[in-house]
Amino acid sequence: MIRLVLTRLAGFVLTLFAASVVLFVTINVLPGSAAKSALGIHATAQAIQRFEAQHGLDRPLLVQYAEWLGRILQGDFGTSFQNGVAVGPELLKRLPVTLELATFAFIIANLIAIPLGAWAARRHQKGADRSITFLATILGAIPNFWLATLLVLVFTLTLRWLPPGGFTPFTVNPMMNLKQMIMPALSLGVVSSALLIRIMRASMLEVLSTDYVRTAEAKGASSRTIVFRHSMRNAFIPYLNVAAVEFGFLFGSVVVIEDIFLLPGVGSFVLVGIINRDYPVLLAGALAITLFVLTLNLVVDLIASLLDPRQVKARNA
Amino acid sequence: MDIRSRALQDGRPTLSIRDLTVDFPKRDGAFRAVDGVSLDVWPGEIVGVIGESGSGKTMTALSTLRMLPKRAVVSGSIELGQRRILDLSPADMRKLRGDRLSFIPQDAMRALNPTMRIGRQVGEPLVLHRNLSFKAAVSRAVDLLRAVHVREPERRVEDYPHGFSGGMQQRAMIAMGLALEPELIIADEPTTALDVTVQAQVLKLLKEIRDREATSILFITHDLGVVAELCDWVYVMYRGKIVEQGSVERIFMDPRDDYTKMLLASTPTLFPREAAI
Amino acid sequence: MATAAGFDFRRWRLVLLGGLLVGIVLFAAIFAPWVAPYSPFDLDVAKMLQGPSAAHWLGTDELGRDVLSRAIYAARISMQVALLAVTVGLVGGTLIGMTAAYFGGLVEQALMRAMDLLFSFPAILLAVVLMASLGTSVLNAMIAIGIVFIPGFSRLARASTQAVLRQQYIEAARSIGMSDIRIIFREILPNITAPLMVEAAVAFAYAVLLESALSFLGLGAQPPDPSWGNMLSTGRGFMAQAPWLSIVPGMAMFICVLGFNLLGDGLRDVTDPHMRE
Repeated sequence: MIRLVLTRLAGFVLTLFAASVVLFVTINVLPGSAAKSALGIHATAQAIQRFEAQHGLDRPLLVQYAEWLGRILQGDFGTSFQNGVAVGPELLKRLPVTLELATFAFIIANLIAIPLGAWAARRHQKGADRSITFLATILGAIPNFWLATLLVLVFTLTLRWLPPGGFTPFTVNPMMNLKQMIMPALSLGVVSSALLIRIMRASMLEVLSTDYVRTAEAKGASSRTIVFRHSMRNAFIPYLNVAAVEFGFLFGSVVVIEDIFLLPGVGSFVLVGIINRDYPVLLAGALAITLFVLTLNLVVDLIASLLDPRQVKARNA
Repeated sequence: MDIRSRALQDGRPTLSIRDLTVDFPKRDGAFRAVDGVSLDVWPGEIVGVIGESGSGKTMTALSTLRMLPKRAVVSGSIELGQRRILDLSPADMRKLRGDRLSFIPQDAMRALNPTMRIGRQVGEPLVLHRNLSFKAAVSRAVDLLRAVHVREPERRVEDYPHGFSGGMQQRAMIAMGLALEPELIIADEPTTALDVTVQAQVLKLLKEIRDREATSILFITHDLGVVAELCDWVYVMYRGKIVEQGSVERIFMDPRDDYTKMLLASTPTLFPREAAI
Repeated sequence: MATAAGFDFRRWRLVLLGGLLVGIVLFAAIFAPWVAPYSPFDLDVAKMLQGPSAAHWLGTDELGRDVLSRAIYAARISMQVALLAVTVGLVGGTLIGMTAAYFGGLVEQALMRAMDLLFSFPAILLAVVLMASLGTSVLNAMIAIGIVFIPGFSRLARASTQAVLRQQYIEAARSIGMSDIRIIFREILPNITAPLMVEAAVAFAYAVLLESALSFLGLGAQPPDPSWGNMLSTGRGFMAQAPWLSIVPGMAMFICVLGFNLLGDGLRDVTDPHMRE
């Protein structure tokens, strides 16, 4: 058991490391633009040169990376090109916002997908199954930023129930926080649920056709008992793997959704970094999101292994 | 005097199937898997149904359990004791399954839930039909496992199926099937997937169960050797029909139908005497 | 049920439906100059923010431009980007996947690890980061999205190639001395096209979504060029006065993505060894 955890942890660190290289190289590959962004288009060649020397942008990429890595490991994420503010603390402030959004969205997606997927599987090929599959197809085609816009149209402009954006921490004002988070979370969660509905349905169908479910039936178990006692746990294992990937996608989509709803999270941070060519910001934000995703994959991987007793035995053997 | 002759004097068969027909609708017409099958199983009797794959033997067994695929069309009559199986509501049928009537499938490993401990699975019929708590059911499962000769049952109930060997898994399935002392056990090729030595043990166990509890067993197989070893009465099935039936001794020594003769001829000799060709 | 003409509509219904929707979008994209009632750049500030009317079926935007025409021309951009992006992803991914599977060993490990690494970035994030590197323009969006697709296609190509490699005709080809390159292109490639095409259809949908997301963020098509994404983005600023500006581009995206998704699902159903349900 311990060995498994350590192996995965090692893999995780290695991947994170490699990812940081990819991000760093990609972002810093094109010279010149950072300076122009910070100083303005009319900056003189000298000013640009000075800026670059100041920020170490004129040195070889490898050196830059090594320095950057060294500083990161000490917790120093550099300062913004735009306004000289330290990136680290700002990033830290934004983490909880994105985490709350992604988690909230993920919960919504699962709350929708698990019951609907299981129900569709139980009523395979009957009315409920067809409707649910149709619904999943429709939901999966909706762009989440369009859904966000429509939600604002209905709930903010027309009904005036919910605010159009902004963020109040949960600890400060829970009600307000929820009101501000519900539309962003719905935009992400509803669209994500489409794939998850299909996966749950497929997984459940697979389980319902196994021999051990037939055994349960032969013992006189009712359909409900079969679903809840015998099927759910087994259906979850493959489901979780895909759900984890989907959760990862959510972290990507926050970039757009945070922008729409003016949520001060890591996603909007990344966006600001791009628009302003503020590389330290962009890099830190992108790295943070990647870290989220990789951590998530790690955790789910470990949980899935725990749920499946066969794996436990195989490792302990 | 064999069981049948005795029973004819006493009462009714445990299981009585008359003119069973099972059709599977196809694009044009239907496929008849079971064609007018009639058979009886008397109390305490081990009845073998032998045939190749596709002979309809498994379908006959599943019909008795009312566990055929939904699209199957069934006609005829099946009586378990006094109950008319085909007329029961699904709820009533569920009450019978696992309680008065149990099923032992071919592949025990796949028939066990990989994420549920053996004790809970073996004891589940008690939870389903006698309202026991799982805790109580698991302690009863210890006794059940002991009765099928699983060693150290107290420890074994906490195991998961993959911790059991093939033979033990099949024994666990048998224990599960015996939990509520059913009137009839339907065994669908339970020894086919096992080693010869393990197979012998399982067959011995089944005979022991019959002797101890007078449970009737309907034993589906394609293996004549097993039939010779275990069964009292044999039905030979071919293409959905019963082509011959009789006591084991009579069938082996004096087969009348051509198909039966062919089956016997293609098996290595079981008795010191040659099988008639 | 196959009709007399031999065409099984039921089986192909998703493909047909998806194909219809995609066809509409493609038609608009290809024949935009003839289909669109106005030029997408025709300003008429006096007519700005008007709702749907006879003259302007979908209303006008904040600069008096016809929304319908802009949506039609935006289809062009989306289709162009999607086409190029999917091509880049498909070609790049297939080459990498086939090479990895064919040569195996260290080559495979190195390539697939690299692909796994790319795959661990959320798509939008990767696209956005690539755009930061390449600069914002439609062409760069095509390249960026294409790169995002490469890992996915490479995985599929690798798995499919591995399946094909297990077939005997590969051995046969090798034994007659066919060079590796010829084997790859003559024997392997044709046999992996089916799953790749299915994936490509789905990738088209995703490409449209990504392109729209990028333009929405201001990183793709730049004004005054119309893209559904940037139309939605500016439309949001006028939600109170002109809600249709927010509804129309999104609806167009939805129809397009739905079409490609249905097409992909339909193709998957048709090409899989599909048992009758």
